[in-house]
Amino acid sequence: MSEFPDPFREHRQKSGVLVCPFQGEPVPMILGYNELRRAAKDWQTFSNNAPFRVPIPSEESVRTVRQLPIETDPPEHTNYRAVTEPFFKRPLLPDVIERVRNLVGRMVERTLDRDQIEVLSEFSLPLQAKALTILLNVPESEADIWVEWGVRVFDVGDPHADGKNLDRYLTQRLDAAAAEPGADFFSYLTQAEFRGRRLTREEQMGFANLAFAGGRHTVIHTVSTIIDYFAGHPDALSFLRADARRIVPAVEEFVRIASPLTHIGRVCHKGAQALGEQVPPGGRVALCWASANRDENIFEDPDTVKLDRMPNPHVGFGSGHHSCMGAAHARLLLRSLLSALCEKVDRIERIDAQPHIEKEAAYTRITGFDRLVARFIRL
Amino acid sequence: MASITFITPSGATRTVERKDGSLMEAAVQNGVEGIDADCGGVCSCATCHIHVEPEWVDRVGPPGSAERALLELQDVTNERSRLACQVRINDALDGLVVRVAAR
Repeated sequence: MSEFPDPFREHRQKSGVLVCPFQGEPVPMILGYNELRRAAKDWQTFSNNAPFRVPIPSEESVRTVRQLPIETDPPEHTNYRAVTEPFFKRPLLPDVIERVRNLVGRMVERTLDRDQIEVLSEFSLPLQAKALTILLNVPESEADIWVEWGVRVFDVGDPHADGKNLDRYLTQRLDAAAAEPGADFFSYLTQAEFRGRRLTREEQMGFANLAFAGGRHTVIHTVSTIIDYFAGHPDALSFLRADARRIVPAVEEFVRIASPLTHIGRVCHKGAQALGEQVPPGGRVALCWASANRDENIFEDPDTVKLDRMPNPHVGFGSGHHSCMGAAHARLLLRSLLSALCEKVDRIERIDAQPHIEKEAAYTRITGFDRLVARFIRL
Repeated sequence: MASITFITPSGATRTVERKDGSLMEAAVQNGVEGIDADCGGVCSCATCHIHVEPEWVDRVGPPGSAERALLELQDVTNERSRLACQVRINDALDGLVVRVAAR
């Protein structure tokens, strides 16, 4: 069996669709690459204009605000996205790049001073949180608060992750920013304009909610997957070290193979046909990124990690007008991680690993780790 | 050495000299507006979309299959569209003029 099993292959090859029940609702998952990209573009049929229902399972129980800009359709979406897009392009600025590189270097250095670490709690989670402080331009100490929330800020079905912590925190920070605006993300939201007016508090909460929920477990699982991959493939680090230009394609390949967000929903307000499956009005389909990223018609030897894969038209950051706004930040973080590992680490030894398993009615998929103990050996 | 001219969506013109690499790298290293190149050149993000000026289309050549699939779903694609990351610079492209696609 592949090191990175693909639970969708059989259905993708047979019909291109897998109907999976979520919370009692049968949802056709679109599995093929080309069909998925076409559906992602066709917002008139497959809509995002549905608060709480774009994620599957739905999130009515864990949040009170509509996430922005993702839970809207064009042309409203286009205007909403334009509000925060400049902030999410900050990772292209030289001083932001330098700060993220510096952070990752410090974190890797710290692992080398230890005999062993639990990667998830002592590396991936704090790294994601601290890097987010740089993106949002807030003090690094804020990460201590965020780390307490765990891998997911909210999780449908987990009574300990009901999203109230996040709501309280965001309300507090937006209040403070409104009273005394600075150069941080919260202040930006309180000052930003949408169609000639200031954002309402509910809209500010919607943007902020997504900024915290969207790039959290996805980044954390990808970082852990990368660490584990190097533990299992000692030659991979030397391969990257031999030519630093390999780091950029390697990051894209890790995002493709990890596909940390398995799927996302779209609502068919008027009903639709999806690869022979009838979706009733108000029903949903899922765009299955994880399956499209293994489509054998697009990717040669799709279950194998090829660090220099090129071209690599993966959809790990989504596709179309809703493609991940945090992608530039995630890429900066992951490229910095590979650079720091190449520069400082000779090899990584896996001591104990417990994969994170996403178990749904119609498929089971590994998306990262619940626990990963490893030793980092200095170069 | 090839001299490449980029015309940005706002109408600014930027000419750069380069002997190899991709059109995307040439644009990014010279801060050409509108070429974000998020994915770093692996043909995944389509944020380096350009339109080749008509007289250069034959010399630049057509997109490959992965590139074509990405371009087909962009709003402003036309028969002269390419992704700058997939166009290699060589002497035959000296004088090339491309327009950065508006997004």
